Amino acid sequence: MTAKALLCRCEDVTLDEVDAAIDAGSHDIESVKRYTGFGTGWCQGKQCVVACARRIAERTGRAPELPITPRPPLHPVPLGLLAKLPPEEPR
Amino acid sequence: MAPRRIDPTKLPAGSALGARLRALAALPKVRLHHDGDEVTAVQGEPLAMSLLAAGKLTLARSVKYHRPRGPTCLRGDCDGCLVRVGGVPNVMACTTRAEAGLDVVSQNSFPSAGLDVLRVTDWFFPKHLDHHHLFVHVGGAVNRTMQHFARRMAGLGTLPDDESALPPPERATCDVLVVGAGTAGVACANALARDGLRVLLVDEREGPGGLRCDDPFAGVASPVPVAGVEVRYGASAVAAYEGETLVLDAAGLLSVGARARVFATGCREGVGTFVQNDVPGVFTARAACRALCAGVLVGTKVVVLGDGRFARGFAAGAAEAGAKVLHVPAGVAVEAAGGRAVRGVVLRDGAATRTERCDALVIDGVPAAVYELAGQAGVAVTWSAERDGFAPGCDDDGAAGNGCYVTGSLRLGRVADDVRAADGERVAARVRRDLAEGAR
Repeated sequence: MTAKALLCRCEDVTLDEVDAAIDAGSHDIESVKRYTGFGTGWCQGKQCVVACARRIAERTGRAPELPITPRPPLHPVPLGLLAKLPPEEPR
Repeated sequence: MAPRRIDPTKLPAGSALGARLRALAALPKVRLHHDGDEVTAVQGEPLAMSLLAAGKLTLARSVKYHRPRGPTCLRGDCDGCLVRVGGVPNVMACTTRAEAGLDVVSQNSFPSAGLDVLRVTDWFFPKHLDHHHLFVHVGGAVNRTMQHFARRMAGLGTLPDDESALPPPERATCDVLVVGAGTAGVACANALARDGLRVLLVDEREGPGGLRCDDPFAGVASPVPVAGVEVRYGASAVAAYEGETLVLDAAGLLSVGARARVFATGCREGVGTFVQNDVPGVFTARAACRALCAGVLVGTKVVVLGDGRFARGFAAGAAEAGAKVLHVPAGVAVEAAGGRAVRGVVLRDGAATRTERCDALVIDGVPAAVYELAGQAGVAVTWSAERDGFAPGCDDDGAAGNGCYVTGSLRLGRVADDVRAADGERVAARVRRDLAEGAR
């Protein structure tokens, strides 16, 4: 049996798992993320955060206000490149 | 039938798509290898296009269930085309240029992405695999064995063959950094440069135009940056800190200090959540259009769902290129069928549900704001019922605080080209005013 609906394909998180998280009381994006691991893979939520928010709205009648906090980098960057950045000057 | 290269000479006379593809036909061809097979590519095209044109659809495997993965967005936003290139793991084939002699191999699978025996994981766990609880509370030995197994099974690729020689970062300063060379971004950058400001315009693509580049019938030439604008294409703004932005391109990292930053990063579309939505051969309509504009037809019997610009553009272009197209403007996918390639779709059209056979499923979803970079820079991002998605907060001139501005479809959603151009100029006027006041 392989008929899965993938809400987050980077981390292989199914709609079934997200629904279980919402039904268990996670009604904001951050909680669903912590519970299922969705949005933590290669794309870091580019494809799935909106899908998750729409699902929460569908099941609870209320869309979550905030997405996952957007953190750098937007795409994976070799650590060696970041390591060569000069240290930040004190402000 | 698999995806294939379009023969531009067979397109109807006077076709805008035909003219576009005939220009591509003049580019040199190169040979590269994928999993031992020789592939002929157009030099410089996105590697994912070369692989699709060679009929290669399943390029990767998913991390946990080892489900087949194929290109879906063709814009660097999904996990569908991750491959190992020349000993470097996790290369997005859609944002990598095809060059002679590249050695491309599938990763994260055994023996290859096409046939991966680790797929058994998917069959063992029909609903989902709850790795937070599985074998965790059953005692030390079993838990340790499970962890050992899981570490080998999951993950993305393996370490690079060589330590690559990475260049040191560069630093640049400008008055205004504009991220995104689409209609609004170019209009904004041009207006600011005409006022004598030092403007740096960056875009992930190889040229200006943004979403118009993906529209097979956009017709008129896109607005292009004026001479006063410094431009970097193939350059991805990957991080935004206080006043500083990191831009990654083939040459390495560029750290940009700017007095003002304008985000014109546009929208992206997903395919939606339905059963088997991850089967290779399911594409966003924009991705399918992008392939069309690169001379690649994603399928020969295609079901197109949705009524947006890209659904209509793809349906028309694919029909010209000889595909059998079924366009259902109000159609919604319920379930896709297929293993390593899509074979059909169950779709809902109004009250009726029906099944259609296809070898590609093309879906035009609700555009969602590409807000991540603006959010990193400190722009407030909240839910918008009107946009059915998250959107950046700003005033009527696109000012979002902290020297940040948003424009184009990022701010307005998918509106007409001339509305986005006007918005870019309006935001430019505000940036100019704010900078002048700040300098006083």
